[in-house]
Amino acid sequence: MKHNHPIFYIFTFIIAIILFENCSVDTTQELPARNYTLVWSDEFDGSQGSSISSSNWTFDIGNGVNGWGNGEYQFYTDRTDNVALDGSSNLIITARRETYAGHNFTSARIKTEGKFTTKFGRIEARMKLPVGPGIWPAFWMLGESISSEGWPLCGEIDIMELRGQEPNVINGTVHGPGYSGGNAVTKIFGFTDDRFDNDYHIFAIEWGEDYIDYFVDNTLYQRITPDDVSGDWVFDQPFFIILNIAVGGNYVGFPTEKTPFPQQMIVDYVRVYKEI
Amino acid sequence: MKSNPNIMNKLGESPSSHIFKNTSFYHHLNELKSWRFSYFQYKFILNSLVLFGLILTGCERDEEDLMRASFPSNPDVFIDEFSQGLNYAAFGGSDVKAFDVDNKTFYKGTTSMKIEVPDKDAPTGAYAGGVYFTSTGRDLSSYNALTFWAKASKSANIDIIGFGNDLGANKYQASISNVPVNSNWQKYYIIIPNPQLLTNERGMFFFSEAPESDRGYTFWIDEVKFENLGTLGANKFSIMGGQDIVRQLETGSTLQVYGEAKANLPTGIDQVVQCTNSYFSFTSSNPSVATVDANGLIKVMDKGTAVITASVNEVNAIGSVTIESSGAPVTPENSAPIPMVPADKVISVFSNAYTNVPVDFFNGYWQFSTTQLNDININGDDIKRYSQLNFVGIQFTSPTIDATSMNRFHIDVWTPDNISSSSELKLLLVDVGADLSFEGNDNSSHEITIPASQLTKESWISIDLPLSSFSGLASRKHLAQIVISGSLPNLFVDNIYFYNDGVVPIESPSTAAPTPSRSATDVISVFSDAYNNITGTDFNPNWGQATQVSQVNIQNNATLKYSGLNYQGVQLGSSQDVSNMQYLHIDYWTSTSSLLNVYLISPGPKETPYSLQVPSSTWQSIDIPLSAFTNVNLSEIIQLKFDGNGTIFLDNIYFYKNNVSNEPTGPASDPALPQADVISLFSEKYANVPVDTWRTDWSAANLESISISGNEVKKYTSLDFVGIETVMNQIDVSGMSYFSMDVWSPNADKFGIKIVDFGADGAFGGGDDVEHQIDFSSLSKGQWVHLDIPLTDFAGLITKQHIAQIILVGQPTGATTVYIDNVYFHK
Repeated sequence: MKHNHPIFYIFTFIIAIILFENCSVDTTQELPARNYTLVWSDEFDGSQGSSISSSNWTFDIGNGVNGWGNGEYQFYTDRTDNVALDGSSNLIITARRETYAGHNFTSARIKTEGKFTTKFGRIEARMKLPVGPGIWPAFWMLGESISSEGWPLCGEIDIMELRGQEPNVINGTVHGPGYSGGNAVTKIFGFTDDRFDNDYHIFAIEWGEDYIDYFVDNTLYQRITPDDVSGDWVFDQPFFIILNIAVGGNYVGFPTEKTPFPQQMIVDYVRVYKEI
Repeated sequence: MKSNPNIMNKLGESPSSHIFKNTSFYHHLNELKSWRFSYFQYKFILNSLVLFGLILTGCERDEEDLMRASFPSNPDVFIDEFSQGLNYAAFGGSDVKAFDVDNKTFYKGTTSMKIEVPDKDAPTGAYAGGVYFTSTGRDLSSYNALTFWAKASKSANIDIIGFGNDLGANKYQASISNVPVNSNWQKYYIIIPNPQLLTNERGMFFFSEAPESDRGYTFWIDEVKFENLGTLGANKFSIMGGQDIVRQLETGSTLQVYGEAKANLPTGIDQVVQCTNSYFSFTSSNPSVATVDANGLIKVMDKGTAVITASVNEVNAIGSVTIESSGAPVTPENSAPIPMVPADKVISVFSNAYTNVPVDFFNGYWQFSTTQLNDININGDDIKRYSQLNFVGIQFTSPTIDATSMNRFHIDVWTPDNISSSSELKLLLVDVGADLSFEGNDNSSHEITIPASQLTKESWISIDLPLSSFSGLASRKHLAQIVISGSLPNLFVDNIYFYNDGVVPIESPSTAAPTPSRSATDVISVFSDAYNNITGTDFNPNWGQATQVSQVNIQNNATLKYSGLNYQGVQLGSSQDVSNMQYLHIDYWTSTSSLLNVYLISPGPKETPYSLQVPSSTWQSIDIPLSAFTNVNLSEIIQLKFDGNGTIFLDNIYFYKNNVSNEPTGPASDPALPQADVISLFSEKYANVPVDTWRTDWSAANLESISISGNEVKKYTSLDFVGIETVMNQIDVSGMSYFSMDVWSPNADKFGIKIVDFGADGAFGGGDDVEHQIDFSSLSKGQWVHLDIPLTDFAGLITKQHIAQIILVGQPTGATTVYIDNVYFHK
């Protein structure tokens, strides 16, 4: 989620071409055999309009420093207008076009920092994503050492980021020391004839000592190993989970008059498994 | 019934924006309607096109088609040629040759469709538009969008592009409007709102485009085909713009529901598709109250409440219409009161009692107006019946009405609606100004709200208003519209007229304001023929006011005229120091104002109002003491302001001072008391006690002893404060009752006298000193003033046997001049 480098766009563009070409060819996959057991989850059960479990989540509030480091427009709140359960076992994060605390958009960003962290395992969420120019939903993780070591030393694993002007394309990315922002290691996954807002899709990583495998539904589209990063491999410590919708920012560009609001990120569940 | 508040605000400010600026939009809507109902006209054009050889039909697959049990599902409309069975017909009134196949410019393949939009007045046709249709229907139910590529010779917005126009019922028409095109090829999508309905569709494609800014241009369309795309977001549907609308209607009323579809394009933006109501299934929660037919036409059947909703393929559309029916229409049993005003004093818009002026319309059916109009007759009296009224315009422009010789506006209304405390009826009069156009900047209008307290259910109410109460009307010489709005959806209207009740006030003065006589040296003039005015003053700065400002000549005297005053500024050509002036003089005349204030303004802004007595049909001269403008910095006056209402004439606006001399021309009167009753400090009439000094060295003032007509006087200048001491010979005034003194000042706004008693120890300090100060804030200037103050007024002076100091204080601080004489205590 933290990107501060203009090269990034060019970089991802090149990958996109390569990947799309590969998509049609890469029809069979040999998935490594791994046995997982569920260790943590939030199924988002609860009554309609109620807030999320405070034993699992905390909130980021406000606009951060320089729009959370990315020039984002939204003001994050913990209001149920922006983050609430829908009564049908879903979490709804809602980005709105409204004037609030001096900002023109509101949204929410929730995280398990201080509540739950995991080192290794399978981390997945089943979601329908919001769309529209300047809309930037993300399902991602930060190393819990961010409070002591800072970013990017703490490491960042972006399980899913979507630019709303491309409702059919997501990115999976890692950032770390020497490979952050525009130099992050990233890969696109895209549909040629589908999109991420019409139906639920499962976004997951399987993370072990020397690999992070990225999945959309049952498709493994990227493996990142210590050989792929140009600095230290920092993905050997506990990470916490973050869900949010940003509006605007360096990564996604800015919302236009035609961007439809409100936009909702509908999360069926977040689950964490450990390998046995 | 609530109208859109934004719209009503706009209407209040500038009704013209509703009247003319939306005409092009409606023009096209009407065209659309005409397409639907003019089948035979198209048929004719179709035949003529056959002669042109433009209908391209394929025949290879005809036999196959015949074999099929259902209709072909061919998705292609135009790839490089007309697809199988496709025909073209131009719309009536359009340039029939606007369309051609272009083999030089194309997006893909070998050709594209080229549309040449004509200039506005081209003899060949006023616009480009036509339909591509098949003779045999196609099954399009497996697709979810019509797509095409388009570019244009210049950036433009194509009025409408769609499908489902089959030159017949156009049952499943869907279209996008104001489609932006430029000189780059771009892909466009028109979603199919509910594909499963399109099993036998003949309308493959249609377009209509009028000239842009009256000029023609060319656009190209290529690769027109139906597709089934996973990259489109799910369709969403709404009726009534997605709003939950509540309407109070009577039995027999009808209301048309409109719907639209929306889908998210592969670029993440939503696209709205206008579509026919055949795509929707409409439901009434209570058909005994209101029914809704397959086309979304609501018909009110009986008293009660019914909610109309819609769905598409079992997905509920957002929005609803709640019908609150009051049952059978309640209409007046009696005709309106017959007007009694003689016809020669009336200009009538609508009445059986008078000859009416020409009226353009009694309902403009303006955008966002829901108002319906019926002409009814009760006992021989013609009445306008408005229903579903949110706002309605009555317009008379041929010619406009000159009501300058009229002074009242009359309208009779009758409503069956319940009156609550929030009920109201609003009447807006619009004058278009001398340009006789709703454009331009000389329009003015005023709206009067008739409150619930003046409204009654089911009886004729005669509303009779003085035209002067429409104070925002800068003129009533070119009245062009009456706009009725408010909270009464059912209104019967009769006897709309302007009249003269015989007491029309004269609106402008026949004589000039009095000519000022003060010496120019005592005056700082803002506006007067008698003086040199401050140069560069702007008498009509744009502060957003509605007031119309002009200068008129009355008996060769330039006079400032404010019409339709709400507020009005005067920006002085330079900042003025009027601190040595005493008065603001204004001559004013107004027969129509009921409120008028004048303000002086210094930076900050600091401003203070002063209320002027109005109305007055003679010239009023007022001299306002500048001290009335508290809080204003008189050394830095930058602006004047007037606010209030009506039409105001102003002249001779200037600051002045009375020519006060700086020195007494004669001595103060001699005191008359006998020496025995007096302890005198300074008087030629008495023997004076010793005074140490008339100006201590800690004083802030200058002292001169001068003689006026042989009479000795103390003159203090640059006075802030001055100490007079009798420390060496302290005075016992315990047997006295008064302190007396004669004072003359040309400029003291404030003058104070403090008396100090040093107490029993006879020394300054020591804890027993007492004192008291008395201030005079309105000492007459330029004349001797005899002050005779009971010592009891010096309440703090509780001992009086050791009077040692008298301190005089003046304001303006450090600038006061005072002359004193005859300073003494007496019994």
